[in-house]
Amino acid sequence: MEPRMKLTSHLGRTPYYVLAGGLAVIFMFPLVWSAFASVSPQAGTAQDEGFGFGNYRTLLEYDAGLWQYLWNSTYVSIATVVLTLGVSLLGGYAFARFDFPGKNVLFLLTLAILMVPYATLLIPLYVLLGNLNLSNTLIGLSLVLAMYQLPFATFMMRISFEAVPRELEESAQVDGCGTFGALRRILLPAVKPGLITVGLFAFLAAWNDFIAPLILISDSSKAPLPLAIANLRQQSMGAIDYGATEAGVVVLAVPCLALFLLLQRHYIRGFMSGALKG
Amino acid sequence: MQSQVTDRPVASPVRDRAPTRRTPWWRSRALKGIGYASPTALFVLVLFIVPLLLVGRMSASDWPLLRGDQGLNLPDNYTAVADNALFWPAVRFTLLYTVIVTVILLGLALLLALMVQEQRPGVGFFRTVFFLPSALGLASASLLFWGLYSPSIGPIGPILEWLGLADGPISFLGTSTSALWSTVFLIVWKFAGFYMLILLVGLQGIPHDVYEAARMDGASRWQTFRSITLPLLRPSIALTLILCVTGSLLAFDQFFILTKGGPDNSTVTVVQLIYREAFQRLDLGTAAAISMIVLVVLLILNIAQFLGLRRADEA
Amino acid sequence: MRTATRARRHPGRGSTRTIAAIAAVGLVTACGSGGSGETSGETGAGGPDGVDDGTTLTMWTRAATQAQSEALVAAYNESHENQIELTVIPTDDYQAKVGAAAGSGELPDLFASDVVFVPNYTSSGLFTDLTDRIESLPYADALAPAHIDAGTFEGSKYVVPHTLDLSVLFYNKDLYAKAGLDPEQPPTTLAEWDQHARAIDALGDDVHGTFFGGNCGGCGVFTWWPSIWAAGEDVMNDDGTEANLASDVAQQVYDVYRGWAADDVTAPGARDETGTTWTGYFPEGNIGVMPMPSTTFGLMPDDLDFGVAPIPGPDGGESTFVGGDAIGISAASEHVDQAWNFLAWSLGDEAQIDVVAANGDVVARTDLASNKHSDADPRLVTVNELLASGRTPYSLNFGQTFNDPNGPWLTLMRDAVYGDETKLEENNEAVSSSLSS
Repeated sequence: MEPRMKLTSHLGRTPYYVLAGGLAVIFMFPLVWSAFASVSPQAGTAQDEGFGFGNYRTLLEYDAGLWQYLWNSTYVSIATVVLTLGVSLLGGYAFARFDFPGKNVLFLLTLAILMVPYATLLIPLYVLLGNLNLSNTLIGLSLVLAMYQLPFATFMMRISFEAVPRELEESAQVDGCGTFGALRRILLPAVKPGLITVGLFAFLAAWNDFIAPLILISDSSKAPLPLAIANLRQQSMGAIDYGATEAGVVVLAVPCLALFLLLQRHYIRGFMSGALKG
Repeated sequence: MQSQVTDRPVASPVRDRAPTRRTPWWRSRALKGIGYASPTALFVLVLFIVPLLLVGRMSASDWPLLRGDQGLNLPDNYTAVADNALFWPAVRFTLLYTVIVTVILLGLALLLALMVQEQRPGVGFFRTVFFLPSALGLASASLLFWGLYSPSIGPIGPILEWLGLADGPISFLGTSTSALWSTVFLIVWKFAGFYMLILLVGLQGIPHDVYEAARMDGASRWQTFRSITLPLLRPSIALTLILCVTGSLLAFDQFFILTKGGPDNSTVTVVQLIYREAFQRLDLGTAAAISMIVLVVLLILNIAQFLGLRRADEA
Repeated sequence: MRTATRARRHPGRGSTRTIAAIAAVGLVTACGSGGSGETSGETGAGGPDGVDDGTTLTMWTRAATQAQSEALVAAYNESHENQIELTVIPTDDYQAKVGAAAGSGELPDLFASDVVFVPNYTSSGLFTDLTDRIESLPYADALAPAHIDAGTFEGSKYVVPHTLDLSVLFYNKDLYAKAGLDPEQPPTTLAEWDQHARAIDALGDDVHGTFFGGNCGGCGVFTWWPSIWAAGEDVMNDDGTEANLASDVAQQVYDVYRGWAADDVTAPGARDETGTTWTGYFPEGNIGVMPMPSTTFGLMPDDLDFGVAPIPGPDGGESTFVGGDAIGISAASEHVDQAWNFLAWSLGDEAQIDVVAANGDVVARTDLASNKHSDADPRLVTVNELLASGRTPYSLNFGQTFNDPNGPWLTLMRDAVYGDETKLEENNEAVSSSLSS
């Protein structure tokens, strides 16, 4: 513990920057390397000599085509984000501001979703979506992915609402707003950072998920990107196209990193406003 | 859309009645609360409780994946779990992995949070860099490291060789020890930034005057850390602890992609075992039974953590 | 045309090959009799050729044999009214996918499967009984016998061969010459193979005698068992419920591999090789002699001078593991006649010669072992002829016992080669108990 304290302040700037810089290099290295590996020459890939975008061309032309997979992934991610935001906004409001029978049970059940192994629920979910006529549809997949986001999203929105002073809302109700009016006009702007955090998380999870689409989607043209990349990786028995795999990792990562950098300020505010102080 | 649908039917009777006779406030509030919570309830009920009940039913039945329900056989699936040669090693390994990951991850996250909590030049950059890996999906990150660790294109071996620190290729996933630590490294890299952020929020929530007061009393930095920072950070630490322990006990993707449980079954986690029972041995009954056991253990663990925290708060 | 014809594992050489093959079929059908399906279109009950009435059929295949499936489907769609929508599923997850779909009756019309999993599927009733249809084919007796046997359950036949993948010994003729060995004399016994490998390994530098997937159960089954079979020994009983993997012959085979591991005759990485990259070494030209899948034949670099030979037993004999995919019509399919139209076509002369053989793959019929493509390269005849004598092991619990990285066979393999040899009997029993569970 002692060294940590020193690092933060006692010692001068240089050791701090050496340590922070060193850690930053370690944190950046895998990301930089994957970008590098995706364009560097590798025997047995589309990029067998010199640097270039051969592996990305492989990806572009693979099966239904990269654009189709990107579209599927985008659709699923956006649908998941919208569903998650809608449900958790209302749910968080209910848990933070209302008392109703079964409130604690429902909240705990929502959190319990985190405790069930992912793979276990998928078979029953597959059967269930079939009964709802949603099997092999992107919207069915989005519903499942949104459900898995609910524990975090509901928890986050609840504390976001709890962090808003009650007086704000009460003054709105004096002005003749109902609870929904107060939510829309007063609370919504106040919990925006929380919403952005939840939305970003839902996006990242939906964009990157592999196992749910594997089981729930049975049509190449509806497959999201991670599934297509897994296919690409295992395409021939006993030989791996590492280059194309790393190119796939880059294509998967870039939207996530870009979105994160874009929303970073709001996102950190979302965490702060929740002020997970207890 | 959704909000209107759920809001109206619940809210309107209350409004209609309002002018004539005043309903008790708690009643209308309660109804409205139920209205707002109903989408959540619907999701939880249809997409979680119903499938979970089906899992419970499977765990009590002879249920081969390919043929479906063959009738109840309670408690065969549960007794079969104890006889499964991989079960106890998987439990041991999962616990070991959880302890290692939790200690390292939370330690590093705390270090990172302390490093980026104060305003100084470049701190924003470091925050961003430490957090960046968290923006990746776990499967993408595992694929990335799978390349990074591979003997064919992995860069670490050549770099160490070039530095004269190693001769010959390094086997990152070849022995049980190296496979464990390689995976731990991936997970720490991937999640440290996320936990850093949670702890950072906790740190920023500690009022400055508390530190001021401590300094007035002549407390050393170490004393301040131990007697002020750590205790006041406890709720944040508890949250990271719960998330980290639950996540590690359910570890799957990283091992599925990197090691497949190898070498020599040394990195089989409990969830991998569930996956194996369901999709290699095609026996949903046993898979469901292990899932139920895991669920119960996690519930007990989390409730215990929760109660422990509450007691500590009251004390 | 959803899964278009383009996807390739090795862009460049491969894709031109496929396109050429498709073009060839296009030409043949354009100038030929006008398609086989039209003859029995109206019967509905489906004659020997099934029905070609413009139905859209769904089909699944695993990524590992995607190229072969796509070539066939593209050629079929080109020349028929029926259209097949092919969906490719990650190889490692194929069982999970089929299982999930089977559980809720959502299998596609047609699905291919690694032939070793077929017994499990047939016994669970996933496929439609095709006995009469298969037997009415003029070349019924010539269909890869190992695949047909694997797909026969209680006297009924459910599947036909789809893609063939045989284990064959590949050897590098340049390295043979350098090591003073005769490039036209591949090993005929395991002992000779051992000598050759060691002689080449002695060349030093980056050259290695041999290679194998030391952490890959599927690779062991595929490449080690033929040596056991070659000596006339079985690896399991006929029902596939009891293992015979601790026999003297088996022991002799393991010992050779153990020697290679101990003396570093393999390229580095054999011990950790999980089967994801094991066929990538030989094409680089630094490996002397190793068994590999016949599907890699067409992927060898043009400048690599290599030969192929059957896998020998300890004291001679030869055998091969007939792997690859078999294909059947799912029990729930509502388009059995249409789906059969594709299967019957895929086994016909045109498809077998102008698509399968043209791609350098092994044909599904023993009577076509010698054809215009294989005649151009005698090495292909060697491979094709093995089809008649090769074996496909039969067990209901094959995947979970032998392919699963956490199954008991991989433990046996690794103990026999890297670990504690004395555990062989005990490990063999663990395999038996997995087989009979």
